[in-house]
Amino acid sequence: MQIFGVLLPEKQLLSDYFRQFMQGKGGIIVYLSLMGLLLGGFGIGCIFVLGHGHTTNTSSIVPWGLQISTYVYFALVSGGCIFTNFFGNMFFHEKYTPLASRVIFMGLITAIAGFASLASELGHVERMYMFLLSPNPTSPMFWMSVWYTADITILLVEYINVQRHSHSKAMLYASFIIPVITYCSLGSLFGAVGTMPYYYSSLLPVYFLFSGFLTGNALCAIIAAFYFRNSGGYRMVRPFFRMQKIAISTVFVLTFCRIIIGLANNLSGYEVFRETFLQNVVLGIGVALVVPFVILMYRRTLGGLILSSLLVLGTQFMSRLDLVVEGFRVPVFRVYDMPERINYMPSIFEMLVVVASVSIVVLVYVIGEKTGLFEIARKEIH
Amino acid sequence: MDTFADKDHKDILEIMHEDLQRALKKPRNQRRWGMAIDLKKCIGCHACTTGCMSENLTPPDIHYRPVKEEEIGEFPNVSMRFLPRPCMQCDAPTCTSVCPVTATYKRDDGIVVIDYKKCIGCRYCLVACPYGARSADVGHFYTGDMKGQTYEVENSEEYGKTFKRKSHWHSPIGNARKCHFCIHRIEKGELTRCTTTCLGHATYFGDLNDPQSLIVKLVSKLNVFRYKEELGTKPSVFYIV
Repeated sequence: MQIFGVLLPEKQLLSDYFRQFMQGKGGIIVYLSLMGLLLGGFGIGCIFVLGHGHTTNTSSIVPWGLQISTYVYFALVSGGCIFTNFFGNMFFHEKYTPLASRVIFMGLITAIAGFASLASELGHVERMYMFLLSPNPTSPMFWMSVWYTADITILLVEYINVQRHSHSKAMLYASFIIPVITYCSLGSLFGAVGTMPYYYSSLLPVYFLFSGFLTGNALCAIIAAFYFRNSGGYRMVRPFFRMQKIAISTVFVLTFCRIIIGLANNLSGYEVFRETFLQNVVLGIGVALVVPFVILMYRRTLGGLILSSLLVLGTQFMSRLDLVVEGFRVPVFRVYDMPERINYMPSIFEMLVVVASVSIVVLVYVIGEKTGLFEIARKEIH
Repeated sequence: MDTFADKDHKDILEIMHEDLQRALKKPRNQRRWGMAIDLKKCIGCHACTTGCMSENLTPPDIHYRPVKEEEIGEFPNVSMRFLPRPCMQCDAPTCTSVCPVTATYKRDDGIVVIDYKKCIGCRYCLVACPYGARSADVGHFYTGDMKGQTYEVENSEEYGKTFKRKSHWHSPIGNARKCHFCIHRIEKGELTRCTTTCLGHATYFGDLNDPQSLIVKLVSKLNVFRYKEELGTKPSVFYIV
């Protein structure tokens, strides 16, 4: 299979860019993200060399922390990119076509960046082969791994197809249905845990789908805004305004329902919804959803779209952290010097994992953009 | 003298030991190990906790059998209640069904075990256990340093195998850990460590499938409950009140 010119930029363009990079003309974002990647790599290296006990703040009381929430965040961004790809192709074909390879590529690298964060959280990542040797079909995590693998595979095939002008409707549908199942599985991984009231909900798989669409679409909107800044402007990115408003509205409804169900429940452990009510309403709904929606309504410019999307990406990251960590706020069995309410603050190494994940996404995408990787799909094959 | 001591004035431990020997003569799939804890007898001395820690060489923050202390009522009508919590060895465990790699499973004698060599350290079982009975061994040592003192890295005989906490690349560091009813002891014909160290003889252990055993006589009474039984986990640990 042809690698250069399909999966990677053409050799000549790549070596030209490397020369520019060495001369200090690679672009400030590339240097910054490279620095971020080195720092993040150092953090991940420390976690593997020194061990979790000396580097992370997760424990038996808070088993899942920032690394898991970063994984969930990037996985959902990846799913969202693919949903944007599907809806873009179905409803806004002409305006969307130049963005297709960019969006699918983004879906791929965010899925991989998410996995990197997850891998750094596992106690024994070297035993991942156990998923093949000793699978447990009753486990939502097992199914999530199966679908996640299928998801990345189909994204790769879809990306190659787009790059080689052999895009088909069948693959488009497949690359929509498989991510839907994948991210529902991720939602059920949390939603099926009956012992954690903050997670336990049949709404969670659906919530994951729509909040994934929200964040993925926000990222694609930024890509579109930069792509069309000199050619078409607002007129060309109007579909992203529409999709973003729909996504915000659906996440608003689901977040609202989740909070109301939690507040109405009197079972043990549900007090976490009362205790997090203010932060959920003010930050989770107000700042994360209402403000971006208002910006989209009243600032119909590329700047407005970028601002709203950045706000969505930032606040949804915090929402993912909140979702994962607040589940452990009320201890299941409180004993000895365990506080009544558990507070978790990620360590510097955990934060560096986030830096690594963000940096790898930015670095790979920007290099792809600068070396004309995504323009290959637009060229005619002779 | 205890109500269940027989006419030969045998100690409860002796009676349970005889029950254990009888159970060990049966095939494994015909046994079902269970535990009963008499909350009236528990004085909150934590001997079971410390005994368990020394038996299984557990690191800081990992307690297979913590004892919860609760103050009931208000002065002057106030009393203390103690609730020891081993792993409930559920008959319908939530932890085993969520493990993605079948590293944790229920043996045919009812004990839920962890295969340290399979566990990937995802901690999903910790999240799924409604009793908080599972812990993550992240690699802490009592001395706070990176390698630990000699006594901290001694071989642990859990599950009848030898595990040394050498580094975070070696199990059990990085794994989920839990109470396993001292399998390594009961298979040698010894009672669980918490049963033998209990000062007030509040902990009973035996085969729930043996109608002659002391534990069956105890748990068939009305004053017995199982913790969070409404979840449908069918615990094998009974509390006597």
